[in-house]
This record gives sequence, C-alpha cells and structure tokens, in this order.
Amino acid sequence: MANQSGNVYGLTILSPILQDQNAETSHNCAIRMKLASLPCDEFSPFAKLSSTHMARLVVMDDVVYVGMPSCEEHLKSQYLIFETNFDGDLDNYLTRMAREISADVDAVWKHCWGYPGTKNLAAFIAYMKKCQITTTFYFADVNSKTVQETLTALQTQAAVARFIEKNQGRPAADLQKSFTEFVAKLHKAPAPVAGRPESGGPPRIETNMKWATRN
Amino acid sequence: MSKLDATDIQGFVLRGYGQPFARYLFLEIVDAQHGRAFIGRLLDQITTGERWDAGKPEWTLNIAFTHKGLVNLNLPDASLLSFPVEFVQGMKARSEILSDTGKNAPEKWDQVWLGGGIDIWLAVNANSKEALETQCARLQRWMEETGGAKIVGLQDAGALRINGAWSSKEHFGYTDGFGNPDFLGVERDTQPGQGKLMADGSWAPLATGELLLGYADEAGELPVAPIPHLLANNGTFMVYRKLHQNVATFRRYLEEKGRLYAGGKEKLASKFLGRWRDGTPVELSPDAPNPEIVKDKLRNVNFTFVNDLDGTRCPLGAHVRRTNPRDGFGFNGRLVNRRRITRRGLPYGPYVPEDQPIEDSDERGIIFMALNASLFRQFEFVQQQWVEYGNDARLGNDKDMLLGNHDGHDKHMIQGTEDPQSPPFVCGGLPNFVELRGGDYFFLPSMTALRMIAAGKVDPR
Repeated sequence: MANQSGNVYGLTILSPILQDQNAETSHNCAIRMKLASLPCDEFSPFAKLSSTHMARLVVMDDVVYVGMPSCEEHLKSQYLIFETNFDGDLDNYLTRMAREISADVDAVWKHCWGYPGTKNLAAFIAYMKKCQITTTFYFADVNSKTVQETLTALQTQAAVARFIEKNQGRPAADLQKSFTEFVAKLHKAPAPVAGRPESGGPPRIETNMKWATRN
Repeated sequence: MSKLDATDIQGFVLRGYGQPFARYLFLEIVDAQHGRAFIGRLLDQITTGERWDAGKPEWTLNIAFTHKGLVNLNLPDASLLSFPVEFVQGMKARSEILSDTGKNAPEKWDQVWLGGGIDIWLAVNANSKEALETQCARLQRWMEETGGAKIVGLQDAGALRINGAWSSKEHFGYTDGFGNPDFLGVERDTQPGQGKLMADGSWAPLATGELLLGYADEAGELPVAPIPHLLANNGTFMVYRKLHQNVATFRRYLEEKGRLYAGGKEKLASKFLGRWRDGTPVELSPDAPNPEIVKDKLRNVNFTFVNDLDGTRCPLGAHVRRTNPRDGFGFNGRLVNRRRITRRGLPYGPYVPEDQPIEDSDERGIIFMALNASLFRQFEFVQQQWVEYGNDARLGNDKDMLLGNHDGHDKHMIQGTEDPQSPPFVCGGLPNFVELRGGDYFFLPSMTALRMIAAGKVDPR
C-alpha cells in the first residue's frame, strides 16, 4: 500500500516556491535562510509532533546541467520538499502541524505558491494533500514500532542491561528476588516522552553523523 | 592481471618482516635541497618487496612521508593538492571523526606528535639488537653527512619475549597477527579466510587496488591518488597509532569479571576479542581453546559468521568480528570487501608475566600500523563505524571492548544461550584499556616515486 510501511506513514510534499522579481530577497533565498535557522534533532519544531520518526526539509533548485551530450532542461519552479515518517494517519498529523507548530510552519510555507496558512485548518489540509506525492521508498529505521514504543524499548533495554550487569553471577534465589523487584519497578516507571529532551528520557542515542559530516 | 613489480614496491607494504626488533625514527627535513640529498643517499638501502632467496637480511629499512614532509620537499603544488584530503589534513586534525577525544585527544599525545608534526618516518627492523643499533647509527651518519634531516623522536618496538622465546602475543596476552588480507598479485602464503568470501564459499584475493595505488579496487575503480600517476603507482597510505595499553587495569578487570562469568576467566577473555588468548577462533571453538586449530593454516582464519548471527558463539561486538564482519552483515560478505586493512604493528615495552606486579603508567602497548589504498574508506570507516560505534552490528552506541574510547559509560554485551557455561553477560563500566598516545597518516611511495622525489623531478603534467 502506497505511503504506508507497517505503522509508519511516509509523507512527501512538493510545494512550489513563489517567484517574485520585485522581492528584495527572493522567496527561494528566504526559505533557505529560515531553514538554516531551524534547530535540528530533538530541538526541532517537528520533534514537538511526538509521532515524528524523522522529518526533513530541502529546497530543490533545479535540474543540474552536467554539460554535453545531455540536453539542458529546467523545472518550471523551485520546490520546497518536505519528507516525514510518522505514526498514525495523515489527517491527524497535518492537524497537529497546524495546531501545535503553526508559527514555524507558516514561517516556512508562506514563501510557497497558493499556501493558505494554518488558521483555516480545512484549507491547510487540502493544500498539503494537493502537494503530496506518493511515497514508495522508505528509510527503514524501526520495524513498525511507534516512536513511543521505540523509546520505551530503548529505556527497557538500557535498564535490563544495567540489571544484568549488577546482578550477574549471583545465586539463583537472590537473582529471582531482585528480578521480580526490577520488573515491578520497570512497569511503574514513567513512559519516556517523545520529543521532550528535558523530561529525562533514555540515554541519548549517538548517531555519529555529526562526526562523519564535519569534514 | 600482470604480476606486480615487487622491486618497485617497498617490502613493508607486501609483507610483515617478522623480525623481532624495530625502531621508528621520526624526522624533520632541514630544507628541500638537503632533504632530497638525504633521501637520495637512502635509495639503494630501502628494502623492496623482492624475494629473499638467501634468507632474511639482518636489517630492513623503509620510509614514509606525511603531507607536511612532501610539502617541505617542495613537491609541486598540483601534486600536493591532489592527495586525498584526509592525508593532507593528517590524523591529528581528524581526531573528532576518529573519536580521538578525551583520554585519546591530541593534548594527551607524546610531545613528538604535537606542534607542527613530523615529516618522515623511517622504519628499521632487525634480527638482533646489534644490527638495529648499527643500522640506526649509519642512518644518523647519513643525516649528518647530507645535512638533510634531523631526528625529532624515536620509538622502539619489538616482539615480546615470553619464557625465553619470541612470541607473537601482545601485552594483554592475545596471540596476534592473524587475518591480514590476500591481494591479487601479492605473493604470499595464502590461507583460506584471509581474502574475500565468494558465493560458493571459497575465498579469493581482494583486488590489488585495496592495498596499492594505481590498480583497480573492489569497485573496479582506481582509488583516489595523487598526480602524476608515477608518483602514486605502487604506493600506499599508512596509519600509525601508538596505542598505550593499561595492562594492570585490563588484568584487574578480567580477574574481577572472570569470577562472575560462568565460563571462567579465559573464556571471558576470548569473548572480548573473538579468539582465545592462544589464537583459537571463538567462532570455530567457543567452549575451549584448541591448539590443533591454531596450528592449522587451513583453519585458523577460516570461518564465517552466517551460522552465528545471534552472536552466541562469537559475540557481535568481539574485536575480530567488529573489524572484519565477514558475512555477518549478509550479502555474502560483499559489504566488507572495501573495508579491509593490512596490519603491520608490533608491541612496545617489556612483557610482564601475569603473576607479577605491573603498572598502567609503564610504557607499554602496541604500535598499530595499517596499510590501505584509502584511509577514508578503509581505516577511518572501520575506526569510526565499527570500533567506536556499534550500529551496523545492532549494538547501538557500544564500542569495541578493547580499543574503544569508553569514558566509563560503555558496555560490551556477550550474547549467551541456556547453556550454563555460556550465559549472557554484560561487561559494564568499561575503562579505557587502550589510550592513544600519538600518530599520523603517511604515504609510502614506490621506489620509482622515491627516486623522482629524491631527484626533485615530480612532474604533475
């Protein structure tokens, strides 16, 4: 089924960017400046939409002409590409975008052709669906686990590893007793909150990407 | 493909000499003209890959350059700027990528690697202390006679002497030196398991271009190499890392955790590395060391991980599995063929038996040297993605137990079964067993390139 991979919805939006010869700063440049200022990782506005696995925004300028013998072609417009993988259904996600991070969404999309703004929810949803293209290719980060399930699994894994390390080698009866206490505590532990770094969730997962891209 | 011209390739690239004494001299070039004269003086002394029909020579000599060294020899800008960027920057500048931070950060390195860095690495390997000293004295004399270079640092290294005999063990007690890859055209005692895995389960040599510049690599491309072609051809890149070993900490840790691990201390040690300390591959013999396998060239490197994808024989994070996952990631091992490196390292510092007192602060460790056509694609990738990280092996942030820059927060997971002798076990609170004390990236030119450099005739056109 297109756009859906297990529980995860893959949304791909292509929004044509306004072209205004009279603008002091072109809309294309303005979007780039705005995107460059958006925080990434857990501080991104999209992290506040807690069902988001990943999201990214890219400005697509034009087809690159690589020289003869290829022929020179051009797109009719520059595009803002928005790609996101999230749990749940599309209408719900779009509604949350319009309600929970409206300022950031408007600040980016106001440079796009025909954008109605987030105030009129029905118009916003209709606009985004008009810009949507079918997603058929997914980055397989987790297998059909929601963001919440993934965070809970990571929290559980870290706790179990710590338990094993602390208790390995102990006699069976002691081990059983400690394990029973551990499981009870684990069940009562507050679920980690997605997208809220200050809530003291599981250990931060290093991606190594900042090292790879630094040079 | 045609046979390699072994007389054009430095011997150190094609084989480990197996000589028990070594000294690495770190030189600074005085100026380009005199530096070239010094190199010219060395030319007929450099050991090539020629076969030794009369047995091992008393000593061998090889030479390599940092990018700074090539700059100081006044190579043309077009050549200097055409080297791969990681070599131009040098290892110190890339410390963030390599996780050479905290205890491994450049601020903690030996003095010789700080400041501007060195120009030339000269390696003397010898059969005896006398031969080593004699040859080093000659080198010193040639430096003075030509006025071309001065020594800014020295590093002695050599095989450990254990129970009155030369050993191939390193300081943690592991038998070392297995598994260097086979390359097409490089004459060598081939063993099954060293090369790349083929679809029918056999092993074949890797493309020459994974080791030597100027030849097709595993992707069928020529690795990025400096211009002109003659400067790069038959050369390679080397990473040199002085790895201090905290042997006291290691022995204490193994003792403490060995008491808790049902399989016992030696089995636990085998789960760190992926080989028992006598060299038996854990994948072939997870429950006991097996000297028969160790002695058998057809078996001691010949294993795959396809029947051990859950790591219950050889842990997913064991050192040998991290650095050469073989077919552990699927695709019949093809994902690994462009990530192989050739190791030439030697220990340094005196061996102390396990029942004797030892201090972490003693100077002992391993001089790690690895050769590859692409530092970025081979060594740096393995270091960053497989040693200092665990995602590809599905181990999250976990680092290599022995090499990892743990900083006190890390763990090594030993996957287990219901067999009471092989329980799951977590090695937590890992200290840094190894600390980086310096190093850099070097270019090992061919003899042709060396002659061009000595004559000042490197022409990029």
